[in-house]
Amino acid sequence: MTLGYVLRRIIVSVPTVLLVVLMVFVAIHLVPGTAVDMMLGTQNYLTEDQIRQLYHQYGLDKPLVVQYFAWLKNTLSFNFGVSLRTGKPVLQLILSRLPVTLELAALSMAIALTLGIVLGVVSAVKRNGFIDDIIKVFSLIGISSPAFWIGSIFIVLFSGLFRGFNIFGYVPIDRDLLKNLQSMLLPSLTLGLMICAQIVRVTRASMLDVLRQEYIKTAMAKGVSRTVLIFKHALKNALIPVVTVSGIQLGYLIGGTIVIENLFALPGLGRLLLQAVNERDYPVVQSIVLFVAIMIVALNILIDFVYTLLDPRVELK
Amino acid sequence: MKRLLVAVVLFASVVLLASGKLTIAVDVEPVGLDPHLVTAFASHRILENVYDGLLRFGENLELLPNLAESYEIPDPYTIVFRIRQNVKFHDGRPLTVEDVIFSFKRILDPETKSPAAAFYQDVDSIEAVDERTVKFKLKKPMASAILPNFAGVNSSIISKKFFESGKNLQLETNGTGPFYLAEYVAGNYIVLKKNPYYFVQGQPVLDEIKFVFMPEELSRVAALKNRDVDMAKISEPLNVRQFSADKYNIFKSATLSYYLIGINTTRKPFDDPRVRNALNYAINRDAIVKTVAFGEGVVTGPMHPSIKVWALPPEEFEEYKYNPAKAKELLAQAGYPSGFEFSIVTSARYNFDKVAQVIQAQLAQIGVKVNIELVEWGIFIKRWRESDFDAFISMNSGSMEPDIQFYRHFKTGGSTNVFKFSNPKVDELLELGRSTVDTEKRKQIYNELQRLLVKESPVIFLYCANQFFVADRSVEGFKLLPNESLIFLRETYKK
Repeated sequence: MTLGYVLRRIIVSVPTVLLVVLMVFVAIHLVPGTAVDMMLGTQNYLTEDQIRQLYHQYGLDKPLVVQYFAWLKNTLSFNFGVSLRTGKPVLQLILSRLPVTLELAALSMAIALTLGIVLGVVSAVKRNGFIDDIIKVFSLIGISSPAFWIGSIFIVLFSGLFRGFNIFGYVPIDRDLLKNLQSMLLPSLTLGLMICAQIVRVTRASMLDVLRQEYIKTAMAKGVSRTVLIFKHALKNALIPVVTVSGIQLGYLIGGTIVIENLFALPGLGRLLLQAVNERDYPVVQSIVLFVAIMIVALNILIDFVYTLLDPRVELK
Repeated sequence: MKRLLVAVVLFASVVLLASGKLTIAVDVEPVGLDPHLVTAFASHRILENVYDGLLRFGENLELLPNLAESYEIPDPYTIVFRIRQNVKFHDGRPLTVEDVIFSFKRILDPETKSPAAAFYQDVDSIEAVDERTVKFKLKKPMASAILPNFAGVNSSIISKKFFESGKNLQLETNGTGPFYLAEYVAGNYIVLKKNPYYFVQGQPVLDEIKFVFMPEELSRVAALKNRDVDMAKISEPLNVRQFSADKYNIFKSATLSYYLIGINTTRKPFDDPRVRNALNYAINRDAIVKTVAFGEGVVTGPMHPSIKVWALPPEEFEEYKYNPAKAKELLAQAGYPSGFEFSIVTSARYNFDKVAQVIQAQLAQIGVKVNIELVEWGIFIKRWRESDFDAFISMNSGSMEPDIQFYRHFKTGGSTNVFKFSNPKVDELLELGRSTVDTEKRKQIYNELQRLLVKESPVIFLYCANQFFVADRSVEGFKLLPNESLIFLRETYKK
């Protein structure tokens, strides 16, 4: 991978990120109800004049275009502003939530990839057999079940089963590793199993494709052992679509998984975003979206790089 | 020897009682920490344990002395508070009369934009009489009506020196309350710790309270069963039934918050009071309490029936007795013999949507077709504020004080009179009520007002739901108040 390629990709990504941010800015401002409305609720005691002052104080009385460029200008100088509702710096809010979301994403992906690839390969090798049927049913259930349902089932099964097991109450990784992993187990298992189901299907299909190819027959004819054949010759080549799917899923995980974070009371990015949207906390919403958009673009570049590792024929120009 | 043994046991039990850490799962996280600015319910629940007002509410919402050790009303225009001595803020500074005056000046300063400013808009002057006494002079003779406001979180006393040292009160706290804020991890939890300077002997009993934010009820139920938490807020009565009374302490109380149908009284056909009253007769309130709240609630009139000093019970109102025949008769008189169609705007919070569905079914029986417009909360607030509705279903926080309960909602042009309701007699009674000091006379005025409000029905009062906290058997001393306050955490302990 050349430096030139990376630079070019970064430059090309700038309009994408800006477009995403602009769209979110317009969308969140088009939704009826402003930050001031949410603040006052239906119990407000303020006069019309005081309400106008609040709009002015938060800069919400200015035209949208002015608000957008003011935000953009501040953001480009790394001033992400202050949350309208909590008064906390936005950057601090995002950075405090990011480790949770990243850890959840990493653990879920680890579970999904380990289980998904193994089951996918077994399924392809034992094609149309009894084990294949079971794996197919498993992945179909995984794909069709909503996350909140699987999560709820886990909660019901686990609560009270192992006394002292820390299902809820997130503990930061640097404070107590064991408690941290306990609180992360069920949410990452929930997400991991769902994504695993997709990876199983893609791995299976891709493996079947590769196993049909001529060079596999040649290798078999040369007497290569079955294990080496499957894991060295076939799997490596079958992984490209798996990497693509995993990349997309990882992007989704980094955006924060609102439902799972709510269910397991994890202080992640998704919950912060949901709260910010509900409260119309504009600077928080915009900065999170900007952050996630940049991460996803970076992830995509990284995935391209993984392609070259898997298949030397892929060249990044 | 025996005596010694008893003394040792007593001492040991006091020591045991006097320690402990309580973990509570709550549904919502505070939004901001400045006591003079916060409007979010969840912020109030934390801050009422960190800050103190001049007065506070007792178990039955009676007004009790707090930072003011006593008060008197020499005439309807004057309130005099005697400030308690030897009270310290969490940073160790003593509470002074200056702090009290500064707090109210800050609330009243338009720059602060405090929601409490409206409570004190008729305050003419605040002055220190001596080092222990503060006098409020009012522009109107409404000393009795204004008094409960002094017990609210938005009227907390802050430290002048702390604020003037440039601290941002939305992020940092320094009160005189039983607990100080020790740690706040956004999205995760808040830890309150015992205030060693707290002025009430023997309180708080607990060393530490940890509020864990768990938005999903299912998670709160599971966390309690799994003993991850000692206590949890449970909203749905059906979920409360999962906890047996022999294994858990179930804390339950009525709430003053009331479900209501708000009506835009300027839109046809609701500009005719007969039509509004037809809805009153056609709605079976008991059925709503049974189906939506599983019986965990009480039907209410304009004031919660438990506030016996002021409230007329719902049975007193002919209009609140389920009578579809009478409803049809009224509709026919108003010129709608075969009914009409209208929309109810509501949001899927606190079971508003379910209340709407029951009402939809009940009104269908008198030929009135209801379209339910279910919208997101922000959209609801906007439409509510702009009176952009035929009718809405929502919940209002109620008050013990009739002036607070009624004035801003029903006064012509009142700050929350989104019903666009205007009635000269109602306006007259509202003004008379707030400027009368004699309780017996006030009672007569508010009785007349309640009857008139039901007759005119800009709002159809429905019911007040019960609230629940479920705790481990070891948790004792806790009480829930009808205003949903958690101030009894200072008396709570673990066995």
